[in-house]
Amino acid sequence: MIELFRSLFTPPRHLILLVAAVWLGQSLAEKRAARHQVSAEALGNLIFYGLAAYLLGGRLYYALSHLTAYLKSPLSLFELGVSSFDPLGGGAAALLTLLVYGRRQKLALWNTLDALTPFLAILAIALGLSHLAAGSAYGLPADLPWAISLWNAERHPTQLYEALAALLTFGLAWTLKPAPRPGLLFLTFAALTAGWQLFLGAFRADDVLWLGRFPQGQVLAWIALAISLWLYERINSGDIHENGNR
Amino acid sequence: MQPTRRLFFLAILAAGLAWIGISARTGASNLSAAPQAGFPAPDFSLQSVDGKTYTLSNLRGQVVLVNLWATWCPPCRAEMPAMQKAHEEYQAQGLVVLAVNATVQDERSAIAPFLTEYGLTFPVLLDETGQVSSAYQLRSLPSSFFIDRQGLIRYVVNGPVSEALLYARIEELLK
Repeated sequence: MIELFRSLFTPPRHLILLVAAVWLGQSLAEKRAARHQVSAEALGNLIFYGLAAYLLGGRLYYALSHLTAYLKSPLSLFELGVSSFDPLGGGAAALLTLLVYGRRQKLALWNTLDALTPFLAILAIALGLSHLAAGSAYGLPADLPWAISLWNAERHPTQLYEALAALLTFGLAWTLKPAPRPGLLFLTFAALTAGWQLFLGAFRADDVLWLGRFPQGQVLAWIALAISLWLYERINSGDIHENGNR
Repeated sequence: MQPTRRLFFLAILAAGLAWIGISARTGASNLSAAPQAGFPAPDFSLQSVDGKTYTLSNLRGQVVLVNLWATWCPPCRAEMPAMQKAHEEYQAQGLVVLAVNATVQDERSAIAPFLTEYGLTFPVLLDETGQVSSAYQLRSLPSSFFIDRQGLIRYVVNGPVSEALLYARIEELLK
């Protein structure tokens, strides 16, 4: 079953999963947008501009950081492949675009983040499945009845753990009653996601190790968890107001 | 209620730190060869079209680009001029391009005219039994594996490689 799935969505076809997730996530987010006092149209535009900036920024950042290669072949900038892409550069460009667009449209920060939560939660599920298809984010070797055969070893199916945890997080975020203050839904989602990333990081074999011992993903997830819980506490106690100001 | 929640959050963070400590790696992992970034490249020994035998492990110390291709595959054809340029430009710096023809799913007689048509001068190896296709778990053509001087696969590209991407990956490994 897993082999069939991996054959069906072998790279670069694994991107189909992400494209489908963008469509589904956006539809669900728009459906619930009014609940967070955000217009569905503004939310749709926000997602569109954010994705466009992510794709363009990721490619441009990659080209700039490999300038000599791109000066030799400038037309490669327009290739359709996804390998010449820097996710961090893309993320930074998307964040900047979202901030500028949100400010221009006078979108309230926490309301918008709450409205975006279903979109992000669906994307997290698809990311786990695309990891499974590509064989990336693989687990440590394990002698378990549910281990999967990958890269010449029986391993923890960390990609399935990831997809399942993301599915549960989505289910919770979708069924939670409206939070008393804007931002709490998004922060609940962020804390849960950071929490399971921190937990599951222990079973991953592909992570960079800090100080030769500590998986980078786990450390970053702990920091994200701490920030999410701190912000949750501040918002819930009224230290941060609904428009995002202190 | 608020102090209880704060204590709960602090307990979660403390448990998180403890979990990081518990799950810290204690020894160097011993990876077996696999066709994935971060793993040692699966070794192989193949004959080239001109009868020479190439063994991947003998090229340790050099940067190796293993490109799996077939004559009937349009993206493989499209990327060959870039492969040739890269071979000419970086060969002196320690790059070895090994173009492994998936002969098991190609016409042997189509290879020589192909090499003449594109003026290819790097080694073209014949995978007549499918051993490399199998060891590299070939799922799509072309597929390129960028191998560093220690014999570790650093990048895998499924599908065509653009000229700039090819140069960028090679330059990173030659540094």
